[in-house]
Amino acid sequence: MGEPSRQQASGLLDRYQPGGAFDEAFDADGAVRGPYRRIVERFRELDIDEVKRLENLVADEFRRQGITFTVYSEEEGTERIWPMDLFPRIIAAAEWDELSRGLSQRVAALNCFLADLYNGGGQAIADGVVPRWLVVSSQGFERNAMGIRVPHSAHCNIAGIDVVRAADGRYRVLEDNLRSPSGISYVIENRAAMAKACSWLFYDHPVEPTEQYGRMLRSTLESMAPDGRDSPHIVVLTPGIFNSAYFEHAFLARSMGVELVEGRDLVVDDHTVYSRTIEGLVKVDVIYRRIDDNFLDPVAFRPDSTLGVPGLLSALRAGTLTVCNALGNGVVDDKGVYPYVPELIRYYLDEEPIIDNVPTYMMWDPDQRADALARLGELVAKPVGESGGYGVLIGPHATEQELDEARATIEADPRNWIVQELVQLSTVPSLAGDRLEPRHLDLRPFVLTGERTQVFPGGLTRVAMRRGSLIVNSSQGGGSKDTWILAPEAS
Amino acid sequence: MILARHAESLLWAGRYLERAENTSRCLNYAANSITHLRTGEATAEGEMLVRTLGLQDELEAVGPLESQPQLIAFLLSDTDNPGSVVSAVVAVRENLRTVRDRIPIELWEEANGLFLRFPFLGHANAAAGGLHEVLLMVRRACLAISGILNEGMRRDEGHAFAVLGRMLERSIFTVGLLEASHTGSRGVMDATRMLRLTSSLQAYHRQHGNAPDFDSVVRYLLHAVDLPRSVLTCLDRAEECLTGLATTAVALDRPRRKAALLRARLELGEIEEAMVAAPVPTLQDFLTQFLELASDVHTGIVPPLAMATVRSQYIRPGAAPTGGAR
Repeated sequence: MGEPSRQQASGLLDRYQPGGAFDEAFDADGAVRGPYRRIVERFRELDIDEVKRLENLVADEFRRQGITFTVYSEEEGTERIWPMDLFPRIIAAAEWDELSRGLSQRVAALNCFLADLYNGGGQAIADGVVPRWLVVSSQGFERNAMGIRVPHSAHCNIAGIDVVRAADGRYRVLEDNLRSPSGISYVIENRAAMAKACSWLFYDHPVEPTEQYGRMLRSTLESMAPDGRDSPHIVVLTPGIFNSAYFEHAFLARSMGVELVEGRDLVVDDHTVYSRTIEGLVKVDVIYRRIDDNFLDPVAFRPDSTLGVPGLLSALRAGTLTVCNALGNGVVDDKGVYPYVPELIRYYLDEEPIIDNVPTYMMWDPDQRADALARLGELVAKPVGESGGYGVLIGPHATEQELDEARATIEADPRNWIVQELVQLSTVPSLAGDRLEPRHLDLRPFVLTGERTQVFPGGLTRVAMRRGSLIVNSSQGGGSKDTWILAPEAS
Repeated sequence: MILARHAESLLWAGRYLERAENTSRCLNYAANSITHLRTGEATAEGEMLVRTLGLQDELEAVGPLESQPQLIAFLLSDTDNPGSVVSAVVAVRENLRTVRDRIPIELWEEANGLFLRFPFLGHANAAAGGLHEVLLMVRRACLAISGILNEGMRRDEGHAFAVLGRMLERSIFTVGLLEASHTGSRGVMDATRMLRLTSSLQAYHRQHGNAPDFDSVVRYLLHAVDLPRSVLTCLDRAEECLTGLATTAVALDRPRRKAALLRARLELGEIEEAMVAAPVPTLQDFLTQFLELASDVHTGIVPPLAMATVRSQYIRPGAAPTGGAR
């Protein structure tokens, strides 16, 4: 018996029209794709009232647990309940296998680059793979990181690589996040909420579990102890309860069984960091910091920072402490360096990239700039130092005036802009009103690197909640989905 | 091993949890009992409750008590009053939020749930309607939080600080109640009120009959070893917590000794003996001793730390550290 087509569907999936983008659940002929066969059947059995009931159940669960995020642009930083759509995103085992190999490869190359840059004399720069001026002019380049020893040369221990699936069905890397990528706690809480509200959905889907993240992270951080010492004292450093990701910081500390500290809980004495306990000062070996470089040490960086620890840099230089992720990773988060990553993979690993970049034009190159600005209305312009979707101009959605202003801004400061081909992010059925409609989505998988590299099975699927919108960031109205990686036997 | 900041948060979470429960009980009493009194008596009763809760200064900022709704608003929903139920509920949640990585998830959820259920939060005036339901909700949530604290939390330092906070706050409340009650007529009504405000009426009746005598109730609330809210029971438990903590946290040995001394004075009858001649000054002094004990605990949690040399330790890029790492 063939797969039911969308024309045969009824109820929630009635009138489902994928549109021009690659749809994760339905092919171009309207047939259900293999991994989604059973879930589509299950959703066809549901009516809207039941789905709304389940949605409320999930929202209540998130509200009760205080699973929130903060939107700073709103008055006084509003705490919002984490938004999750019930229809899951499913990835088949073979597809995930290739994706995770590509992610490991990319993070390995980026780690090689960071180790080369800060501890290896900059061979890639000397060999002309990446221009020196571009690297040293990056806001993320940190001179203070020069010469600081990093165990296993693993500068990036926790990476969140944003990938999208283009209209041709192939994954592409959209952005690298090697400083403090957030979102993993929501991945795990999404699964917990789904399991509570819709456990029956999992019955015929052997889905890879997610609860092992705390163990994976802890073993990664343990392997980063200075001088390979056993049972290191690990802490998670948070800016505090008013930070938008505080929930995640507390979640990570709890799931690893380590202390969640603020800068004021730590003190440096004789190039060693200690935590202030009721028993006195206790030496700290590894800090998983969720604070940007600039705020980490007011002696070395921003003197007005009250979030960091005075003297922390001296402990790093003395080799008594490891900070994860390492200082200076922001240089590869710089979107100006992003176009060079495929070449860095070839240079360091002698391999072809498994996952391509989105075609990108470097605005500091006069020829590329002239071509890109001429057809800016079809492209996407991004400031190199921003994240969270801020400052992005989507050509087809912009007015002529906005395009002209963007051209002038780019001409005035080409180093700080890249322009990319517009990727029609793939879509997946998502609840809109009283039925499921296609909504664009991306994926942030997490790669952990210490003594070895591990790719966490799954990732944060972010989904645009408005029809046609390509903005998936939760701070700008996006939602999320539980991400199911199917175990090999089920694919 | 617990961070000093976490210890302080758990101590305060315990104190505010107890405060929320105590104030709710006082409000319940006010709502049920004061309505039967004449205006002058009702005002006096209201002032007695405020004195029991140690909120005279906060009330002064609001103005004199003129009506029962004013008293209810002051004790229930006045966010400028740190002793109001709303303030206590917010403080419990905020303190637990800062330690949510080390407490049971259920404990955080219950505290967060109470915060979210509170209908008056953020409003200056409490509606009189539904007061009973609100107070019942608060007391039930406080009991649920206590239950999780006792049954679901590892008996580590964090647990000891939360229990210590509760015992300190409870002692302060009970001694404050005894002191405030001595300023009244010391009749059956005062005796019954003391028992009601400490949830001890039923226990007292079973042990001493149902005609409470003022002095007997005072003795009962000070000495009963089987009453969770008696001062002696609270001191016993506080001392037990401090003894465990002081084995590794030496700065907490001072409050441990102080708690032991207070217990000894109570057990040996020194307090009661002094009360015969001057009950109010004796109880006021006793209350001061508890406030000093609480202060000593806070001082013991956060010992002063020298920070002066940190800036001189800055190592320039490429320079070798001046001293070997320990």
